[in-house]
Amino acid sequence: MQNTIQLAWQLAREESRQTHHRYLHWVLGLLMVFVLTLSQSSLSVQHYLEQNLENLLGADLVVSHTKSLSAEHIQFLEQHSSAVVATQSATTTLSNGSHFQQVKLKAVGQNYPLEGALVVASSLGGSTEHVLSGPSIGEIWLDGRTLASLHMVVGDTVTMAGESLKISKVLIHEPDRLMEGHTVEMRGLINLDTMKLLSLPPEHMAYRYLVAASNQQITTLIDWQKANLPAASVFHKQGAHPLALFWKRTENFMGLTSIILFFMAAIGIEQLSQVQRKKEQVFSAICISLGLTHQNALLVSVVKWALHIVKLTPIVLVISMLFHLGVVYWLGSTFNDLSWEWHGVEWVKVWCCLVAGACVFQLPIWVAVAQSSIRALTHPLQISSKNGLLKLCIVSVICAVAFVYSDNALLTGMVLVSLLICVALILFLSWLSLYLGERATQNLSGIFPFALYMMRQRVLVKSTQILGVGLCTFLLLFTLMLLKDIGASMTSYTREHNGNLLVSQASEAQWQDIRAWTKTQGAEVRQHKSFMYAQLVKVNGLSLDQYDDSPSESLQTLQKSIRLHWSNDVPTNNRVVEGQWWERDTQHWQQVSVEDEVMTDLGLALGDTLVFYINDKPVQFEIVASHVYRAGGGSITFWVQMPASAIAHIDAPHYSMASIELSEEQFGRLGDLWQQHPSIRMVSLSEMAQRFDTILALVTQVVSGISILIIVLAVIVILSSIRGFEADEKKKNSIILSFGFDRKLCLKLNIIEWLVTGGIAALGAIVSTYIAGVLIYQSQFSLVYRPDILWLLGTLLLIMTFVGTLGVYGSKKSLSQSLRHLLAD
Amino acid sequence: MSSNLSRLIQLCGVEQSFSLNNEKTTLFTDASFTIEQGNSYAITGPSGAGKSSLLMLMAGLESPTSGTLQFFEQNKAYEMNKMRHLTGFVFQQFHLLPELTALHNVALPLKLRGEKLADEKALAWLENVGLAHRKNHKPAQLSGGEQQRVAIARALVFEPAFIFADEPTGNLDSNNADDIADVLFRCCEDQGAGLVVVTHSEALAARAQYRVVLSRGQCQFDTKRSGL
Repeated sequence: MQNTIQLAWQLAREESRQTHHRYLHWVLGLLMVFVLTLSQSSLSVQHYLEQNLENLLGADLVVSHTKSLSAEHIQFLEQHSSAVVATQSATTTLSNGSHFQQVKLKAVGQNYPLEGALVVASSLGGSTEHVLSGPSIGEIWLDGRTLASLHMVVGDTVTMAGESLKISKVLIHEPDRLMEGHTVEMRGLINLDTMKLLSLPPEHMAYRYLVAASNQQITTLIDWQKANLPAASVFHKQGAHPLALFWKRTENFMGLTSIILFFMAAIGIEQLSQVQRKKEQVFSAICISLGLTHQNALLVSVVKWALHIVKLTPIVLVISMLFHLGVVYWLGSTFNDLSWEWHGVEWVKVWCCLVAGACVFQLPIWVAVAQSSIRALTHPLQISSKNGLLKLCIVSVICAVAFVYSDNALLTGMVLVSLLICVALILFLSWLSLYLGERATQNLSGIFPFALYMMRQRVLVKSTQILGVGLCTFLLLFTLMLLKDIGASMTSYTREHNGNLLVSQASEAQWQDIRAWTKTQGAEVRQHKSFMYAQLVKVNGLSLDQYDDSPSESLQTLQKSIRLHWSNDVPTNNRVVEGQWWERDTQHWQQVSVEDEVMTDLGLALGDTLVFYINDKPVQFEIVASHVYRAGGGSITFWVQMPASAIAHIDAPHYSMASIELSEEQFGRLGDLWQQHPSIRMVSLSEMAQRFDTILALVTQVVSGISILIIVLAVIVILSSIRGFEADEKKKNSIILSFGFDRKLCLKLNIIEWLVTGGIAALGAIVSTYIAGVLIYQSQFSLVYRPDILWLLGTLLLIMTFVGTLGVYGSKKSLSQSLRHLLAD
Repeated sequence: MSSNLSRLIQLCGVEQSFSLNNEKTTLFTDASFTIEQGNSYAITGPSGAGKSSLLMLMAGLESPTSGTLQFFEQNKAYEMNKMRHLTGFVFQQFHLLPELTALHNVALPLKLRGEKLADEKALAWLENVGLAHRKNHKPAQLSGGEQQRVAIARALVFEPAFIFADEPTGNLDSNNADDIADVLFRCCEDQGAGLVVVTHSEALAARAQYRVVLSRGQCQFDTKRSGL
């Protein structure tokens, strides 16, 4: 055993100097650093959330409802707690001359806050102070962003619904804000009595009851809420709070990215394994020829691999620690006071999982070693030997990663389907272009037809190389495309179909006034759709948390009230993909059509029953159809739709959504409408774009980081693919020299081959990116993907240049080959 | 067939040596002889005597430590690199491209030269070496002797003036070796190409018109053929 380890150590040291092993270390190292940094950062955030929960939540339990609780309910709450504080909130619009801003307005009493500290400042940028209660009647506290947006300062007066409110403080921190969900909404705080004076419609209110309770009382209250207030939401410190859920989803998105990275690493390892397997098989054959057993050879190979991993570990440890430190610093703006912490046990666990993954990638080589024979020494091994096992191993590792991290099943599925399409397309394009290219040029003379001829003859080897380059390019383009196109597409699309002002919620009375206002102003209403609020409480008889506890996007939205639309016919911007839409004026009104992605995300099927709480009454529906968004008919679409005949049976307030096209001047006059109805929810396109830009900036930082990682991996994969076929290339170049040609011809041939490789790979990647764009944009963002042809052609040119240069640079070793090597062989 | 038979390679006082760990090792000194197109030459000598190095020098692929090599065409002297396109090689390990069929391997140098009738000419050469019926077989499906025939056809298909063969029968049994030697010498003769063979085989060396013997650092040029 000691001898085996010594031999393995000696061989491992030798191998470390070989190029293909360096590439292998880079691939594994990058993967390990990424996953370990992700897990460590995630743990730091989770730990931080746990530690700071009490200070962050402002209460032990919060009951949130769209209606005010009855005296009986409040009495129960008070009996099973040590204190209860009621708050109300509504989204409204404040205006100051031609400036207006949508604000989440919260009304609190003198007993607020219940727990934690309420922090304010006397002026923008002034020193902060902790206060023991909220604003007095007639006062309003606004956060700094709202003040800046409205061009106002402390001391100014803001008018709302005919009431003048004095801005007396800058609102810095509300202790219960996190319990309301992690949003970037602008904030305002008023007194409960001021809220009464404003007379906002009750249906626009959200009622929140902050409760101080023991763990036992929390359990009692949760059970009570399930039985007595199923439409209400309860957040408590024993469960996952909104920020934790938000972080979990971010983590899952990053995990999805790791599927892409695993895929690229797998391509690199697959290309390198050609060389490695050959070397290991020859070594095994030598061992056997010297009287050793397969087991001895296998043991040396396994120990050698383990030594490589051990050597890599401290480097990965240090780099992942540094990256973790950087991520914690960067997240500090979202998670105040987040500090760096090392989670040793978890690090070891994740490291073990990664090593297990790497072990699976290595498995086919060990199988080859175990099956090796002395024949390997006398007969040259075929490069294209069976590597089905390796492919199976790669697929299983990727599936395992996808399974662990899948948040949005449809999105994960689409990413994987896009990858498969890319593989099939590149293989098809390689074959087609080389076959047609060779056919078309077979009667022509010169080195270009010859290069095509050689590539066509070596199509199996070449298509593997093209596939590696193409997949890397696809993944890179896909990531960059998301970065570039979403913003541009969303802005232009929204502008074209929706007008530049979106009314997201208006009551019937408000809608009448909006119509009257638009008529007076001569503005055009482009879309108008009615809806009522409904909260999903049961699926097939099970409450939502019993039905599904994974943090899917759809589920998170469905935990709040959703907008239920009614329509006799399939809306022009929808298409039925499953089931049957109802007949006009059907008497069977308890049926709904559910959006396809929601169906997939929640695992719903036709025939399932859904119970919605609508205006505090449960209503049961059966799913009879599933619809998807169709472009061209405006962007206002609904997840759940019921027959128009249902509204005769359901007593609930009706609301409107609409899109309106306004001129610059008309925008300036919107203030009148808001003065009259401060609770109308309207968002201008510029405001939407601004919100979007904020999110995009965050996404840009994340995606840019990942893009850099993907570019580094792509470079390694291309170099690996060159390394994988270097022996063949050397031989080919030497043979060409033996025909009486010089090295310049080999260089020209090499350049042509790499340009053709880059060209086919780029074409395949661009078409795949287009398909992925069409698939994913449509389903995930309800957008029509319109690629920028110039951008794509520019990208094609850039990729060809990059791949060509890298390819020729990587091939310099095989280009410097001399005929003497063939003589010596 | 090559139209001009007046090409020759002239070696004058050629010495080849190399340094390893600051120690100079001389392979041979004072090699002075002439290789003419249309004749055959065998380079013999023990392992490590510098046979392959001499072959590389004569093919213009390496430069000598001292002495001169010149290529003559119609009595006009040229640098050795002017001769590169007129040379072909046959190797001990055949070195066919494994993914190409026999026909495509032979057609390779013609395709590279932009020859339009490459496949037809390649087929004619496969017939010449007796392998037309195996034209669609890949190297792995051919025996050692058959692979070497394909390699000979490939080396001669573009009508080079000189063929350099490094142990062309070294990997073959005696029957196959005789056959291959027959094919190689016959084809070169038919083609009017000069043939330079590096070999350990006395039987193969005996077929050549001239012999160059490398031994103990010395290079001896023997006129072996009777009547010369």
